[in-house]
Amino acid sequence: MLIGSPNCGKTLLFNRLTGLRHKVANFPGITVELASGPMSGLSGTTLVDYPGSYSLQPLSRDESVAVDEFKRGLRDPEVSHVICVVDVTRMEKSLYLTLQVIRLARRSGKRVIVAANMIDVLDAHGIELDFEGLSRELDAPVIPISARTGIGIERLLAQLREAPPADGSAVDSVGDIEISADLLVQQAAHGLARRYGPRSDVLVRSQHRLDAFFLHTWFGGLAFFAIMYLLFQSIFTGAAPAMGAVESGIAALADWVVPHLPAGVAADFTSDALFSGVGAFLVFVPQIFVLTLVVGLLEDSGYMARAALICHRPLRVFGLTGKSFIPMLSGVACAIPGVYAARAIDSPRKRRLTYMAIPLMPCSARLPVYALLIAAFIPATTAMSGLVGLQGLAMFLVYFLGLMLGLIVAGLAARRDRDPAPDVPFVLEMPPYRMPALVPLLRQSLHRCRHFVAKAGGVILGVTVVVWVLGYFPNGGADLQSSWLAAIGRTIEPIFTPLGLDWRYGVAILTSFLAREVFVGTLGTIFGIEFAEENMVPLVERIHASGLEAASGFALLAFFSMALMCVSTLVILARESGSWKLPLKMFFAYGAAGYLGAIAIYQLLSLDIF
Amino acid sequence: MDMQVPAGGADVKPEIALWHLGKNCRAVIIGFDGAMPLEYSSRLSEMGFHIGESVTCLLRPGFGCPRVYRVSNTVYSLDEDLAAHIRVAADA
Repeated sequence: MLIGSPNCGKTLLFNRLTGLRHKVANFPGITVELASGPMSGLSGTTLVDYPGSYSLQPLSRDESVAVDEFKRGLRDPEVSHVICVVDVTRMEKSLYLTLQVIRLARRSGKRVIVAANMIDVLDAHGIELDFEGLSRELDAPVIPISARTGIGIERLLAQLREAPPADGSAVDSVGDIEISADLLVQQAAHGLARRYGPRSDVLVRSQHRLDAFFLHTWFGGLAFFAIMYLLFQSIFTGAAPAMGAVESGIAALADWVVPHLPAGVAADFTSDALFSGVGAFLVFVPQIFVLTLVVGLLEDSGYMARAALICHRPLRVFGLTGKSFIPMLSGVACAIPGVYAARAIDSPRKRRLTYMAIPLMPCSARLPVYALLIAAFIPATTAMSGLVGLQGLAMFLVYFLGLMLGLIVAGLAARRDRDPAPDVPFVLEMPPYRMPALVPLLRQSLHRCRHFVAKAGGVILGVTVVVWVLGYFPNGGADLQSSWLAAIGRTIEPIFTPLGLDWRYGVAILTSFLAREVFVGTLGTIFGIEFAEENMVPLVERIHASGLEAASGFALLAFFSMALMCVSTLVILARESGSWKLPLKMFFAYGAAGYLGAIAIYQLLSLDIF
Repeated sequence: MDMQVPAGGADVKPEIALWHLGKNCRAVIIGFDGAMPLEYSSRLSEMGFHIGESVTCLLRPGFGCPRVYRVSNTVYSLDEDLAAHIRVAADA
């Protein structure tokens, strides 16, 4: 069993010991669920990672669940050892939990090993600590390690191999103290930290210099906006070369493969459904990679906690807390980790409001739709050597719109909230700044892309096949307008006419209720059939050729900004909020708001004054 | 206001709320006022804000943002709802 205080590097150690790649980031509250995996250095041994906790005295429902699970684990006869991770740079906050864990584990007959993590940080500053003395005081082995660099991991494994499980009769070295927020335990932790913790304030001084800038009343706010702007600008500018390469690669592959196939159904299916449909979606994967990488860089650097602090006051206006910022920004990559990250919000009321805001964040599933429509209607003009691009600016505005929508919805819901319970105040540990570890971040971004392609790709392929069959038959792709798909599409067309959309876009919207990104694949397939005589052409050009008005394009942007079209998010919301009431309300309310908002935008932009 | 102070903790130094501690000023925590629920004072104690501990105000960002405090080698940000209920005495 692996336990430790929040942001002590516990999950990084878990990943190192198991070879797994669970999400790590440089702010407290990342691990919200139990995770387990076989230890790579000890065959037949499973390691269980518990969410970080300041003590075994739970304050919230989630903390209670984690602590109860830990206590249940201690009663499990299969469990032999507890690895308690201590952040040696900030020893005091870890030692209180450590003392509680040692006492409880001994009573249960489990051996405790203290992993004194982040020794590399002390080494970098030339700070040496007396781990042997600490080990004597705790009556437990203390192994200095660095989960980040791997220092001491072999020693930790050797200790696990050698040390037999405790017999449950060990003498309690911390006195006869019950597991409680007892002053004596705190004093013991305090005393140990004073004696064995780093005395120098060099670790805090470098952090303070950066905080003085990033949390400055004026510069801090400007830096925040600059960082957010660069994040969204990079989605276009950073990913553009890779997107071009993927697009060219798919076109070249299609040009090579299709002529080798027998003319007819097989060649048409490969060209229209596979290359035009699925290919149109794959073009946007580099943008998802860049988005995940940049969000990961922010998370790993320690900046997220500062952003939470800067946002706290403005978010309070909307009934939220600064801690809502982290799940909301995580929701920009994907709503699901965002919903999980909301567990770090102590206040149940603010957590519920954050749940309502997260699905309005422009997630990576919306990204292909936004990127397609922006590329179709906003010119690719750039200035300042490409640093400022009109399309990137449009993307920033779309994301800002999503954020504002989330805030407005949360604000309106907060005003209607009649919960009499007092609110939980804001306290947030400010993690030290760290240079982001690029290789794990690149790996994490690749993993995210693979997951995205695997998850959405299956749905897109399935929908593409169905759409292609319906669009190709009964006339063998000769005329899309007389296909089965057109017949179905025309029955739903009246719903989309007020948005200036014809049945082709109606069908694409309908299929996107399975997953938003299916919209792109469906359009690719439909236009692939319609323009079958042409070679592979970027989807943007086909949208132009379809006669879609700019007003309809912006109406589509508005619809996709608001509608909650993700089954997985609804399921996770139901699980986290404890019922289907909230997600179902959100599904219908956001859908209706998206539809009515899109009509309003289309009608407004269609006025003669524009 | 009710105070949770240590036994024998009578202190002649002027006490203020942590929220009002000046930038770069250091103080000693002498208690939590009665308006703070026990579970919050317990959690703060677990985090290092326990009675007798030195605390330094590192930053006071404007516009009512949470302020940044250092206890031991750990840095926390606390908003007014919390910091206004932590009583401190100026550290000599």
